[in-house]
Amino acid sequence: MESSSIQEPFDLIRLSLSERVFVKLRGDRQLTGILHAYDGHMNLIMSDVEETIMIVDLESAPVGQPATVNVAKRKMDMLFVRGDGVILVSPPSRT
Amino acid sequence: MDETPPPPPEEQTPPPPPPTSHTGSPTDFLKGVVGKRVIVRLTSGVDYRGVLSCLDGYMNIALEQTEEHVNGVVTNRYGDAFIRGNNVLYISAAEDL
Repeated sequence: MESSSIQEPFDLIRLSLSERVFVKLRGDRQLTGILHAYDGHMNLIMSDVEETIMIVDLESAPVGQPATVNVAKRKMDMLFVRGDGVILVSPPSRT
Repeated sequence: MDETPPPPPEEQTPPPPPPTSHTGSPTDFLKGVVGKRVIVRLTSGVDYRGVLSCLDGYMNIALEQTEEHVNGVVTNRYGDAFIRGNNVLYISAAEDL
């Protein structure tokens, strides 16, 4: 039973070290990359990172229509993520 | 016009009885919902529905079988999810305790 090895939320992160994780950040940003290290603030060290930024354009949308969402992506070899920007971290599914 | 407004009803309804179930501290509630289905709402308004694996004193949360709901629409699914506690607005039990 794998969930018996989780006593506290950080165990979920510990079990994801060296794995590719999904990170949701403030400011409509998300990351996927290999997790190398973390601390109690959820500061993260990640490598081989792709950042996806959702840019909602309210002005050019027609009246009554949903705003258009533009997506920008960029890649980074190595990244330090400051913990206070983190909303959610999801490890690869461990099925 | 000599109409007078109707008098207020004589018998006042008694105050509702205090809730009988679920007394206890917030900590008791949180201990009770571990392992149960919950709805976690973040301050941004996004909801996460899933099974609460565990949580800590910062209200960091580990969820299983997580669905992300934005405006009532499922926008993502995660097998497991760690939610950083500072983003949490509330944790709601989604099944009987």
